Amino acid sequence: MAFNVECTKNEAQGNWYVKVEGEVDVYTAPKLKEKLLDPIEKEKTDLVVDMHDLVYIDSTGLGVFIGVLRRVKEYNGNIVLKGPRDNVKRLLEITGLNKIFIVEE
Amino acid sequence: MNSFSQIAASSEDCIYDKIQLILPNKPEYVSVARLTASAIANRVGFNIEDIEDIKVAIAEACTNAILHGCTECENSFVIDFKVEPGNIEITVKDKGKGMQVDKLKKPDLSNPKEGGLGVFIIKSLMDEVELKSNEGRGTVLTMRKSVTEEE
Repeated sequence: MAFNVECTKNEAQGNWYVKVEGEVDVYTAPKLKEKLLDPIEKEKTDLVVDMHDLVYIDSTGLGVFIGVLRRVKEYNGNIVLKGPRDNVKRLLEITGLNKIFIVEE
Repeated sequence: MNSFSQIAASSEDCIYDKIQLILPNKPEYVSVARLTASAIANRVGFNIEDIEDIKVAIAEACTNAILHGCTECENSFVIDFKVEPGNIEITVKDKGKGMQVDKLKKPDLSNPKEGGLGVFIIKSLMDEVELKSNEGRGTVLTMRKSVTEEE
């Protein structure tokens, strides 16, 4: 599955819905960062990240989410990580990041 | 228990299979290391969860080599796989800047940072990890994992 990020405004819930697909590593992480920062520059709302089709992530991608969370926290927003696969969930647990982000099924 | 060192001690013969990969210092090739490690780990007999762990561990080591290790004059780094039934040993070696191993810190959750998670993650996912580094001469990271017998 090729790396892809789609961002849409969820008008009903007043947040950004970001669908991340494929693999996030040292090569694709900078593109992910750009795609996550772009919407919150426009409108400072919560970010809901759909991880169902995120098949791989490592510290480079987790680092991007940590950096973006810092920005979001500046305006008291939240990042919700939705539906991470088992391998992604495992990394969130190992690093303790599951306690910093809101992780939902 | 490290079966590789036992083999090395008991015999000079190469009982294990060796595979070497030389990668350019470019982020787009880390996926090549992952795919190679995944195929080798599958052959060794690891289950899907362990293969995922090995993929992340090797990617972290390669990322460190690319971001912190390689320099302009050394524009590639080497990955050595030693393979025998049930065991894998992976060494990622760069000839870059090196680092001070004793300055590595555990991630602090009250103040999460973008970087510094790599080695911590490798240590969490693999059975054994050795990190040797000389400032100015490069870094060698060796990691091992064994297949766990399932009941």
